[in-house]
Amino acid sequence: MRLPCPYCGQRDSREFVYRGDAAPTRPSSEEGMYDYVYLRDNVPGPMREHWYHAQGCRNWITVTRDTRTHRISAAVLAREDSR
Amino acid sequence: MDSDYRLTERPGLGMATIMARKGIQPAVIGAVLGFLPPDGPERAADARLALIGTGPGTWLALAETPEADWVTQLANKLNGLASVSDQSGSYVVLRIAGSGARETLQRGVFIDLHPAVFRSGSAATTVIEHIGVVLWQLDDVPTFEIATFRSFASNIRHWFELAAAS
Ligand SMILES: [Zn+2]
Repeated sequence: MRLPCPYCGQRDSREFVYRGDAAPTRPSSEEGMYDYVYLRDNVPGPMREHWYHAQGCRNWITVTRDTRTHRISAAVLAREDSR
Repeated sequence: MDSDYRLTERPGLGMATIMARKGIQPAVIGAVLGFLPPDGPERAADARLALIGTGPGTWLALAETPEADWVTQLANKLNGLASVSDQSGSYVVLRIAGSGARETLQRGVFIDLHPAVFRSGSAATTVIEHIGVVLWQLDDVPTFEIATFRSFASNIRHWFELAAAS
């Protein structure tokens, strides 16, 4: 699989570290921390997810990938990701 | 395969990383340096300094004939705009030049080096044989240069020997 890094261009997925679903946000209190750390949906279809371009520009990117087809419809720098 | 190329080390280069502070655009840094730093994976240079884009707001700076305090001079010029960190000695720069340079290199990188998409002035941060490299093309000979961590330089040289032999 290739991922379109917004800075580097098309790159082999082996250059990246996968972090998973971009949806969970860190709760402000201890309550909800278990869900934030451990609970994930097993999304069939387009999912926004975080990848780290460890062996390239060393930026986090947010990729929208269809988990059934691997079709990628968007990729932005996580720092510019407005959600 | 055309394996006609020469591999040489470029000793004596000054090297540093430049990281723009939050919100500082390349043009602001360019106004201080006298030429525009590339806003993408490319190389730009004047007679004394070359800048290779390695990420948004980050560059590898190379000085051909560095004065002893060139990093301090650069850091002072960019004070408040960017962080400058001396890397001289931590990287080795290898030059690969000749008609077979592109084909040989292509055996090692996942990215497309076809001249239609990777040409003089293009740059990439990627891996060769699991070893991190910053790669750029200087001219249409073609001549490429690779910056890699000094402790891995002999492994990269070894890879080139194997790639050329096979
Ligand atoms: Zn990248």
